[in-house]
Amino acid sequence: MINRILALLIRYKNISFGSFPRLLSIFYWPTVQILFWGFFTNFFMSNGSFGIWSTLNIILSAVVLWDVLFRGQLGLTMSFFEELWSRNLPNLFITPLRDIEMVYGLILISFLRTLIGITPAVFFANYFFDFHLFELGLYLIFLFLNLIIFGWSIGFIVSGLVLRYGQAFEELAWAIIFIILPFSCVYYPLGSLPNIVQDIALFLPTVHIFETMRLILIENKIVLHNVFIIIFLNLFYLILSILFFLKMIFIARKKGLLFNQGE
Amino acid sequence: MPKTSIKTKNLSKIYDNKTVVSNVSINLPYGGIFGVLGKNGAGKTTFLAMLMGLITPSEGEIFIFDKSLKFHKYEILKNINFQSPYIDLPKKITVMQNLIFYARLYDVIDTKKKILKLSEDLFITDLLDNIYGTLSSGQKTRVNLCKALLNDPKLLLLDEPTASLDVSTSEFIRKYIKSFQKKNNSTILITSHNLEEIEKLCSHIILLEKGKIKFDGKKNELFKQNKSFSLKDIFLKDDK
Repeated sequence: MINRILALLIRYKNISFGSFPRLLSIFYWPTVQILFWGFFTNFFMSNGSFGIWSTLNIILSAVVLWDVLFRGQLGLTMSFFEELWSRNLPNLFITPLRDIEMVYGLILISFLRTLIGITPAVFFANYFFDFHLFELGLYLIFLFLNLIIFGWSIGFIVSGLVLRYGQAFEELAWAIIFIILPFSCVYYPLGSLPNIVQDIALFLPTVHIFETMRLILIENKIVLHNVFIIIFLNLFYLILSILFFLKMIFIARKKGLLFNQGE
Repeated sequence: MPKTSIKTKNLSKIYDNKTVVSNVSINLPYGGIFGVLGKNGAGKTTFLAMLMGLITPSEGEIFIFDKSLKFHKYEILKNINFQSPYIDLPKKITVMQNLIFYARLYDVIDTKKKILKLSEDLFITDLLDNIYGTLSSGQKTRVNLCKALLNDPKLLLLDEPTASLDVSTSEFIRKYIKSFQKKNNSTILITSHNLEEIEKLCSHIILLEKGKIKFDGKKNELFKQNKSFSLKDIFLKDDK
């Protein structure tokens, strides 16, 4: 089993990082984002619109952490789409590779892609804006893991939908993150949302994650209740999304869809 | 050694009330080259896909090497492989990277040695460092065949194995398939529109028509039954 998962991981690594343009496509966006937001915030601070020292840190932390979610989801879906685009799914599914092993392989490559994608952004932010993401301390690991896990949940849902309903759903891979962005309270507190939207947004683990991030950066404290909610919601969505993905593979076998995918 | 390589009992596949494969029961002995023939839409690909677990049958049972595919799927899949010109490998990585990946999935021992040996046999050694997406369709067919032989399959399913190949390479591939079968005593199931190819390679033929078995037996019996000397004649007669 480990041999097969490792084989998947190495293959996805070769596909993802095999050439410089492909490697560049993984990390250019987080870096561009961090530079954009950094310069933007610098401008506001120098004009005195925001006086508090932590503004820059809060915004840049939000940018980097939001990108963890985005990279996590994209890393998973793009790796799976590679199989569809190259009409390789039948080859994969006639090997002894189990469906769940594919799930593990996708999770691992997404983790690797996210780390590689985010690292230059953190470096640039540190260099240009004296931004220290590591001020979040051990909580950073907690926030990072929970964001990437939610990214995987979305990734499995999108991949399952594309497998079942075809490539028209591929657009979702790019769009879905931006659909949930306004409700995730990445750059503003939950209270900024209208009341009715707040009630719905509370079901998103991202809301609790970014509220926690702000609390740590501003008040240097953490609310245990929030931590439990984040863990519970994330585990719930991850299990549900993996079950959904596995069910879509099952239906694809039933409907003969594994043969009909491709560019 | 198992008694049968492929045994199906009343195998059917129905999509949205449309029957694609209907009540197919076959019993193929272990070892040999068998041909599956039929016009477009006869259900050949669906039948093959069901044998590999890629499509779930609507009804019926499949036994590979005397074991139920439903209950021993992963054990069986270790000993099966498949090649089709309609299925590809990831285009962005090299031929070698693709082959190593599949060798790992099949737990092939001494991966590189095995790949190099097969590459020499199939004349693809020069292509190993090439990006798969840059290969011609003929080269891809040979690389895919190499992939299909990595695990020394006891059951090899070939869909149009010589499609897009020139005459001499096609002849080489046919000879290679024959010698592979003899050496390993494998079972090879071939579907092809190239009737001459099936005639040359197969002693046993399964003829599918609208998802049903029209004939299942020795090639000579088929000729006898149809008072013909070639598969082409039989197909042409049928059209009239």
